[in-house]
Amino acid sequence: MNTIGVRTLLVKEVRRFMRVPGQTVLSPLISTSLYFLVFGYTLGGRQAEVDGVPYVAYIVPGLVFLGLANNAFLNSSSSLFITKIQGTIVDLLAAPLGATELLVGFIAGAMTRGLLVGLLTWLVALVFTGVQLAHPALTFGFLFLTAWVFSVLGLLAGLWADKFEQINFFPTFLMLPLTFLGGVFYSVHRLPEPFRTASLFNPVVYMVEGLRAGMLDKSDVSPLLGLSLLLGLAVSATATAWVLLARGYKIRN
Amino acid sequence: MADAVLELEGLTKRYPKLVALDGVSLRIEAGEIFALLGPNGAGKTTLIGAVCGLVKPTSGLIRLFGAAETGSTVAARYQLGLVPQEINFDPFFTVRECLRIQQGYYGRQPDEARIDEVLGALKLAEKADAPTRALSGGMKRRLLVAKALVHRPRLVFLDEPTAGVDVELRRDLWQYVRKLRAEGTTIVLTTHYLEEAEELADRVGVIDHGKLLLVEPKAALLSRLGERRLTVRLSSALAELPEGARLEGAVLEDGGTRVVYRERRGEKSSAEVLGALYAAKLPIAEVETASSSLEEVMMRVLREGGAAR
Repeated sequence: MNTIGVRTLLVKEVRRFMRVPGQTVLSPLISTSLYFLVFGYTLGGRQAEVDGVPYVAYIVPGLVFLGLANNAFLNSSSSLFITKIQGTIVDLLAAPLGATELLVGFIAGAMTRGLLVGLLTWLVALVFTGVQLAHPALTFGFLFLTAWVFSVLGLLAGLWADKFEQINFFPTFLMLPLTFLGGVFYSVHRLPEPFRTASLFNPVVYMVEGLRAGMLDKSDVSPLLGLSLLLGLAVSATATAWVLLARGYKIRN
Repeated sequence: MADAVLELEGLTKRYPKLVALDGVSLRIEAGEIFALLGPNGAGKTTLIGAVCGLVKPTSGLIRLFGAAETGSTVAARYQLGLVPQEINFDPFFTVRECLRIQQGYYGRQPDEARIDEVLGALKLAEKADAPTRALSGGMKRRLLVAKALVHRPRLVFLDEPTAGVDVELRRDLWQYVRKLRAEGTTIVLTTHYLEEAEELADRVGVIDHGKLLLVEPKAALLSRLGERRLTVRLSSALAELPEGARLEGAVLEDGGTRVVYRERRGEKSSAEVLGALYAAKLPIAEVETASSSLEEVMMRVLREGGAAR
């Protein structure tokens, strides 16, 4: 294992997104703040409660998820894709970096950005709601697994994409609908059937509800089931990415 | 025989409609400069790509530094350096940062002294802290060379390293390549500038349509397939060569004002021919001799294909 190589790739990935903090860190915070204002303080959100929790606090876990998932995905997908387009992928392929090293480096870099934005989102939420962290370890477990899953999905998208348009395909046509139908802004238990049952096939529900269990001690689904599902998803997506990298899918001729 | 740093056996790369490498077998010896020559699309870059991990070979064996490798050369790549043909740069980083990153990729801790040495040798020191996007095309090419060398590789592939750069860089690079060779680095070079290969190479390989047509020491190749051309300008035109000057290979050209003799190995020497022309009392005004360049030899090899072996 080329540990210095992996560390170099990780540090490079972090420096890359920190060179454009307005785009990579500040921008998600502004959109999160707007979500709080629009959904938490207008539209009657200030007075409403969900399962005994003020609505503005209820949406915090979902908004942390949004920031984290989007940024973890965007970091690995755009970084790998740009590397392909710029031709600097040659530097990685010619170096003594195997599939494992590339995978760990890209995923760790993307998870760092996702977790950083998630943390900053949570800090912004403190301004609106005060500290709400019922189970720190459980919260971190869900944050970690969510960042892992979306980092790997971003890597897969970056490998697959040949055009910028294809990179946007996942966030627009997959992540956005799954996120908005995944209980970020509402409780899936309040949905009528068959939508309630259908929601249980949406993996985002388990991520959001898991964070809700960790932060607010409220959840519509079992956190243990959520952790198991997320771990399974993360491991299988990672294995897929490893195989594709080892085969040089769309990066080696 | 010197140790081999790279051995290829039957290396083949097939695409659906193209055979880019067709059973190439080659041995690169430690400390030599090997020039791989051939026209566009001959397979030079594919061969380098297969060794450096950019291309997956269809079949064949790649052995680097004596260790058998078939599918992957990852472990051996710590000791490889590659200057790719296409210019690439990462706009997020400065020149120095790029070199630090490159050292890290190759499992090395940052070595500022080595970075400064490479920057100085390639006349990039003034640009060390400049963002890569601010470099000119020639500077970006220098940076590629610096990246390929900063981790002290034992075997370096230079794929068209001086394409589109000015004469100064070309001369600087040649000087640095010679220095590297003197320090024991093995260099595989592809270039469109045959003058470059002629200047630097110890051995030459000619590849076309994925087949390696020949591999030979440069001097032996030039001697075997090259020719010496003797041109004798006459002060007055002749209708035909007089008796005594009618030598095999000597022809009258340019309206009878020039006698040209092409000497090949094993044939009558130019000196003997010139002596015969003087003896025949030709009105000689001027004598020129010239030897074939590597370019002319390569063109001959390509024309004749494997027959030139």
